[in-house]
Amino acid sequence: MNLVLALILVPFVIGSALLCLRVDSLRIILAVGAVLAVCCLSVILAMGLVSIGLNDLPVSAHSINLGMLAIEIAMSLYLIYVGVRAKHPLIAVLVLAQAGLMVWFELGPGAHTAAAQNLFVDQFSVIMALINGLVGGGICLYALGYMREYHEKAHREVPDRRPLFFALLFVFMGAMFGLIFANNLTWLFLFWEITTLCSFLLIGYTQTAEAKRNALRALVMNLSGGLAFALAIVWLHRKTGNIELQAMLHSPDKALVLLPAALLCFAGITKSAQLPFSSWLLGAMVAPTPVSALLHSSTMVKAGVFLVLRMAPIVTGTKVGLLVALVGAVTFAVGSFAAITANDAKRVLAWSTVANLGLIVLCGGIGTAEAIWAGVLLIIFHAVAKCLLFLCVGVIEHKLHSRDIESMSGLIVTMPRVCVLMQIGMAGMFLAPFGMLISKWAVLKAVVDASPVLSIFIVFGSAATLFFWVKWMGKLLEVVTPHPRIEKELDLGESIALHSLAVATFLACLLFPLISTHFILPYVVGVYGPTAAVMSQGNITIMIIMMALVMLFPVTFLNYGRGVRVTDAYLGGANVRGSTHFRSSADSVQDVAIGNYYLRDILSEPWLARWGAIGSAALLTAMLVVAIL
Amino acid sequence: MSSFSKSPWIIHYDASSCNGCDIEVLACLTPVFDVERLGVVNTGNPKHADIFLVTGAVNEQSKDVICNIYHQLPEPKVVVAVGICAASGGIFRECYNISGGVDSIIPVDVYVPGCAARPEAIIDGVVQALGVLEKKQAEMTTLANSLDKTQYLRAEKKDAPEILGLQKTAYQSEAEIYGDESLPALKQTLVELETEFARPEQVFLKAVVNGKIIGSVRGYSLDGTTHLSRLIVHPYFQGRGIGRRLLEEIEKSFSNVKRFEVFTGQKSERNLKQLHQLGFREFKTEPGTASITWVYLQKERK
Amino acid sequence: MSSWLSLIIYLVAAPIVGGLLAGWDRRISARMQSRQGPPIFQPFYDVLKLVKKENVVVRRSQNYYIFFFLLLVIFTGGLFFAGADLLLVIFALTLAAIFFVLGAYKASSPYSFIGAERELIQMMAYEPMVLLTAIGMYMVTRSFAVGDIANHPTLLVAALPGVFLGFLYTLEIKFRKSPFDLSCSHHAHQELVRGITTEFSGRTLAMIEIAHWYENVFLLGWVYLFFGSMPGLGVAVALLVFVFVILVDNVFARLKWQAALKSAWLVTVVLGFGNILALAIFFPKPATPAAAKVQPVTPTQLAMPAVAANALNTVDAEPARRN
Repeated sequence: MNLVLALILVPFVIGSALLCLRVDSLRIILAVGAVLAVCCLSVILAMGLVSIGLNDLPVSAHSINLGMLAIEIAMSLYLIYVGVRAKHPLIAVLVLAQAGLMVWFELGPGAHTAAAQNLFVDQFSVIMALINGLVGGGICLYALGYMREYHEKAHREVPDRRPLFFALLFVFMGAMFGLIFANNLTWLFLFWEITTLCSFLLIGYTQTAEAKRNALRALVMNLSGGLAFALAIVWLHRKTGNIELQAMLHSPDKALVLLPAALLCFAGITKSAQLPFSSWLLGAMVAPTPVSALLHSSTMVKAGVFLVLRMAPIVTGTKVGLLVALVGAVTFAVGSFAAITANDAKRVLAWSTVANLGLIVLCGGIGTAEAIWAGVLLIIFHAVAKCLLFLCVGVIEHKLHSRDIESMSGLIVTMPRVCVLMQIGMAGMFLAPFGMLISKWAVLKAVVDASPVLSIFIVFGSAATLFFWVKWMGKLLEVVTPHPRIEKELDLGESIALHSLAVATFLACLLFPLISTHFILPYVVGVYGPTAAVMSQGNITIMIIMMALVMLFPVTFLNYGRGVRVTDAYLGGANVRGSTHFRSSADSVQDVAIGNYYLRDILSEPWLARWGAIGSAALLTAMLVVAIL
Repeated sequence: MSSFSKSPWIIHYDASSCNGCDIEVLACLTPVFDVERLGVVNTGNPKHADIFLVTGAVNEQSKDVICNIYHQLPEPKVVVAVGICAASGGIFRECYNISGGVDSIIPVDVYVPGCAARPEAIIDGVVQALGVLEKKQAEMTTLANSLDKTQYLRAEKKDAPEILGLQKTAYQSEAEIYGDESLPALKQTLVELETEFARPEQVFLKAVVNGKIIGSVRGYSLDGTTHLSRLIVHPYFQGRGIGRRLLEEIEKSFSNVKRFEVFTGQKSERNLKQLHQLGFREFKTEPGTASITWVYLQKERK
Repeated sequence: MSSWLSLIIYLVAAPIVGGLLAGWDRRISARMQSRQGPPIFQPFYDVLKLVKKENVVVRRSQNYYIFFFLLLVIFTGGLFFAGADLLLVIFALTLAAIFFVLGAYKASSPYSFIGAERELIQMMAYEPMVLLTAIGMYMVTRSFAVGDIANHPTLLVAALPGVFLGFLYTLEIKFRKSPFDLSCSHHAHQELVRGITTEFSGRTLAMIEIAHWYENVFLLGWVYLFFGSMPGLGVAVALLVFVFVILVDNVFARLKWQAALKSAWLVTVVLGFGNILALAIFFPKPATPAAAKVQPVTPTQLAMPAVAANALNTVDAEPARRN
C-alpha cells in the first residue's frame, strides 16, 4: 500500500464528497473521520512502522501525468475566466504564460521524460506531513464549530457556502501532502497551483468587494510565483535533462542548477508572502479564521519556505543565497516593526507570520547545516504556536464581536480559558525557553558564523517582536473594569483543537532534543554530511531548567489572595468608588481608560511596507540577474 | 533596633495649605537640612510610604483624597499633621468650607505646630513619628503572632467605643462597594450603640486578642427567631476564620432557638459566600436606599 | 575554582555587593549635590523595613510575577557567573524583565501601566545593542560561553571599542538612571509617581529592590568581561563605569522616550554595528569551521572564571577598608 499516495488522495476524496453534503451532522461525521484517518496515517508514516511502498502507483505514471495536465488546463481556463470577468488582464496574461509554457513543455521537450521516482520521503517531509496532518486536522475540527457560529450568529449576511468551504479545506490538505512528497517537479507544480487556487477561492469566500479584491491580489502574486516555477522546470530540463527534485539537489555541478534554484526560491518567496509580496497575506485576513490559520500561517505559506529550505544546499555560499537571505532578513525586521503599529489582532498576527517566515527564508538563504537545523525547528514551532493564536483570536472575535486588541482588556476574567491558551501561544512565539526562542538562538548563531552583517536585522527585529507580544500579553492580563465572565467560551471541536495545540506547544519544546535527534539532525546530516552537534547538552539542560521554572508559575496561584490586603489603584487620591473612576478637574467623574502604545508617530506602517517592498524588490531583481549571469 | 527608624519613607500631601508649610517640608530635603541622611525618602506613592505628612486644613475636595491616600498606605502607618492648619484648622478654622484639622477625618499621631512650621520642627516631628511607628509595628507583630490566642467573650457597655470604632473601620469597605457612605452602620452614634447594650435580650460578642477587640457580632431573639447583625472583623484580620467563629459562638449563645436570620447588601459577595458556607440561605429581598437592596438569609437548626 | 563554587559565591555575595553599590550610589549622588547622604547600608535598612510592612495589592495575583522576576534574575546572574552561553543569559534576562513588566500590567493601574509600556520601550532600546555585544564577543573569541570569553587572552575592548561604548550607552538604560530613567526611578526622582513599581508594596517591593541589586552586579560583571585578560584592570574599570553612570545620572535630565529610543538605536547602528562590520571585513572568520570548535559544554565542566570570583571578593573588601 502506498502510504504516501493514501495521504495525498484521502483528503481529495473526502473533499469532493463534502462538496455534495448539505447536512451539518453528516458533514461533521465525515470531517471528523477524515481528520482521524489523516492523523493516523501521518503518525504511522512518521514512526516508520509500515513500509511506505513509494512506487506502488495504481495506474502508470504516464497516465497520471496526462491526468495532471488535464487538471492543469481546466484550472487555467477557470482562472483566465476569473481574470477576464474581474477585468484584471494581468491574471489572464500570467495564467496564459504559465499554462502555455507547461503545456508546450509536457507535450514537447518533456514528453518522454519519465521521473525515476515521482514521490519521495525523507525526515523533512515527514515533519511537514505531521504538521499538515495534525495541525491542519485540528483546524478542520475547529472549523466545524466555528463556521456554524459564523453563519448562524456572527455573520448572517454572508451566503452559506459551507460545502464548498470544507471541500476546499480538505482539497487543500491533500494538495499540501502532494507538494510535500512530490519528487517530480511537474507534480509539485500542479499541487502548488492547486494551493494557489484554494487560497484564491477561500479568501474570496465572503464575496464582499474587499474580499474579492484581496483574493485577486493573492492570485496575481501567487501566479507570478507559479510562472517562475514553470520557467524553472523548463530551464532545468534544458540544462540537465531531468525534472526530479532530488536529482537537482544532488547534481554535481551546482552552477548548472543555480538559475532554476533561484527561480524556485522566487516562487517560494511569493507563496510565503515575503516583501515585496506581503500585501496579499495581510489582505487575506478578511477571510474566516480557519482560512487564516490553515492557509496563511500554518500550512500553505510553509510550502513556500519548505521549497526555499529544500533549495538551500544549492544556494548556500553563493551570491544568490546571500540575496535570498537578505530578502528574508529585511522582511523579518520590517514585519516586526510593522506589527507594533497594528491594533487589529489578525493584522498583528499576519505581520508576525510574515516576519517569522522571513527568518526561515533567511535560514534557507544562508544554507549552512546550522541554518537548516534552525529553519526546520522554526517551521515546527511557528506552525503550532501561530495556529493556536489564530484560532484563539477567532473565538474571541465571535464572543466579543471585535478583533481590536484594546477590546481584549481584562480577558483573563471574561474568558480565562481562552486567555491562558493565548498566553501559551504568545509565549511560544518569542519567549525563552519556548521553541521559537530556541530556533531564534540557533538562527543567530548560524548567521554569525556565516555572514555577521545580517545580524543587524535579526537583533532589531527581535527587539520589536518582544515589544508587541508583551504589550498584548499585558493587555489580556490587566483588569481595569471587570466585566462578567462569558458563559460558554468554547464548543467541543474548538476546545479539542485549542487544547491539543497548547499541549503540542509545550511538548514540542520539551521534546525538541528528541525531534532534533530523530528527524532534523538525520536530515541535515543526510544533506550536508556529518556535522558537530548544533546545540550542546549543557545548553539543553539549562533550557529544560528554565522551562521547569516557567511551568512553576501556575503553582503560585495556590496561594491566591493570602497575606495581602486588596486596595485601590493609585489615582492621585482622586479615586471615586474603587479603581475604575476618578474625580477630575471641574469636579466631574471620569472613567479610567488605558490604551497601548502603537508608536504610530515614529513607525508608519505604510512607509515601512513601501520602502521594505522597494528594498526587497531590488534585492530580488539582483538575485535573478546574478543567477542568470 | 528596628529598621523602621532607619528607613522612614514619606508621602507628602497638601490639603489646602497656603504652601508655606509645603515649602518648609521640601526645604528639609535640601542640602542645609538634608533629611535623606536619616534615610527619609519622599515617595509620591502611598503604597511605598510609612509616614503621611499632611499640611493645610481639610476642605470638601481634600477630604476624599486624604481618605483615599490614607487607606492605600500599608500598615504600620503614622500621620503627621504639619502646621497649625493641619493640626486644628489654624486661622481658617471658622471658615464655612473648612471642616477642621486633619484629625477630623483620620487619626493623627504627631502634631507639628507652626505657621509655617520650621524644618527643624518638622524633622523633630518625623523622628517622633518614628517612635510611634515602631510601637505600632511591635503591636502588629504581637497581634499577628498571638492570633491563635483569640478569645471570644461577651462584650460589655464599656467596650462600646472600641466596637464603634471597629464598626466604622470595617464597614468602610462596604461603603466603597455601594458608593454610599450613608450606611446605617456608619451613621450609628455612640449613644445609640450604648442603648443597644442596655436592651436586655441583646447579646454582644467580641473577639479579643491581647486586649484589643478585633471582631464583634450582636443578636437578639424575637418570637423564636434570632436576628443577627453587625458581624464585623478588623480588615487586617479578615480571612482567618474569626467571623466564622463569632457566628458559631453566637449560635451557641442562643441554644434554644431554632431559626436565625441575618441580612446584608446584594453586592456584598464575600459576606454572601461566607454565610452560604455556614448554612444560610436567601429567602427575601427588600429595597433599602437607591444603591442597596437588602438580602435576607435564614438558617434553620435541626 | 569550579563553576559551582562561583555560582554559590554569586548567590550569596551579589545581593550584599549590590546593596553596597546602591548605598554608594546614593552617597556619591548626595555628595555631588553638596549633601551628606544616607549611610552606606541604607539600602539594607530599606529592604529590612519593607519586609515588615503590610503587603497591599490591587489585583491578588500581581505579586507572583515579581517573585518570578526575582527568581529569574538570580537564575540569569547564576548562569553568567557559572560561565554558561552568553546568548542564553541574555534571553533569560529578557524573560525575567518580561515577568516584571507583566506584573505591572496585572496591577491594572494607569501609573503602573505607563511604567510597564515605557519599560518595554527601554527593553526595545537596549536589546539590539546587548545582542550585538554578545555577537561581537563571539567574533573575537569564537565562543559564546562566558567562561571562554573571560579566559580569552586578547583584551576584548581593543577589538571591540565601538561595541564597548555602545554597551556603556545602553548600560545607562539598564541601570535605570537619567537620562533614561523612564519606567521607574530610584529614590529621589519620581517619574509618573513610581512608574512600574507604583502598585507594589512591602515584601514585593523588597523583592524588586533585591532583584535590581542582582542585576546590577551581573551588568558590572559583563563590563568586566571586556577586560577579562587583565583582571585588575577589569575590576577597576567596572567600578569606574559605575561611578561614571552615577555622574551621568546627576548631570543629565530625563529624556523623552522617543529621544531615548532613537538615540539608543542610532548608537547601536553606528557604534555597535559599525564595529561588527569592521571586524567582519578586516578580521574574517578563520578557515576552520566554527562547528568544529563547538564542544559540548556543561556548566559543571566549564573552567570557572577565577578572576570573576576574585573581583567579587575585592569589591567586598573595599567598603570595609574605606570605613
